[in-house]
Amino acid sequence: MTAVHSEDRIEITRGVIANAEIAAQVRTDEDGAVATFDGCVRNHSHGRATLYLEYEAYEAMALAKMREIAAHIHANYAIRRVAMVHRLGRLEIGETSVFIAVSAAHRAAAFDACRCAIDTLKRTVPIWKKEFFADGAVWADGELPTVPAETPAAKPASN
Amino acid sequence: MTVKVLYFGRLKELSGTSEEVVEVREGALIEDLFARCSTARPELGKFRPSLVAARNREFVAWSTPLSAGDEVGFLPPVSGG
Repeated sequence: MTAVHSEDRIEITRGVIANAEIAAQVRTDEDGAVATFDGCVRNHSHGRATLYLEYEAYEAMALAKMREIAAHIHANYAIRRVAMVHRLGRLEIGETSVFIAVSAAHRAAAFDACRCAIDTLKRTVPIWKKEFFADGAVWADGELPTVPAETPAAKPASN
Repeated sequence: MTVKVLYFGRLKELSGTSEEVVEVREGALIEDLFARCSTARPELGKFRPSLVAARNREFVAWSTPLSAGDEVGFLPPVSGG
């Protein structure tokens, strides 16, 4: 299990994401910066007008991977709190699909960690979106996560 | 032994199911399991180059051996965010 910082908020939801509330939750008096990323539903894709999106996830694994991302940015940037919430189900144009907020004493760490979190999420978290158009629907082009080339054979139990 | 196989996105649509329990021989690898699942659904096989496998919620190589009760996902390219 990935250790979870007790003040972090890592969630998958089917409800509307409360962006302002989440951003407020990561802020403490010791912070000079809160960087946020609001991923929202765009009204076009590859030149076609999008009507709406549907998201689905391998939820247990997605949450585990999101917790790994939070642990990674805590380990690599001088940040305080992380909130990362992804929504599933049908989302309309303009709605938030993912919201990330990172607090830090200084802005560089907050920006860099927030950028790292969304970039890593898009490469490694098992969530999929289907784009609906007037004349049909397609699963969005995605990224194939990197996989270890070989998994070492299980070691015999040592004493 | 048996393992649980999960399908998502276009694979779920293709398979017509989100999960199934599959019987495999002792010592079977992830790729053996995929071959087994694709035998029942030939369309599945052609997606192999654009899939990654997960075993018990971790990405793993196709050459990974299975254990009884494993949860295996064959995952299309991810597109969250």
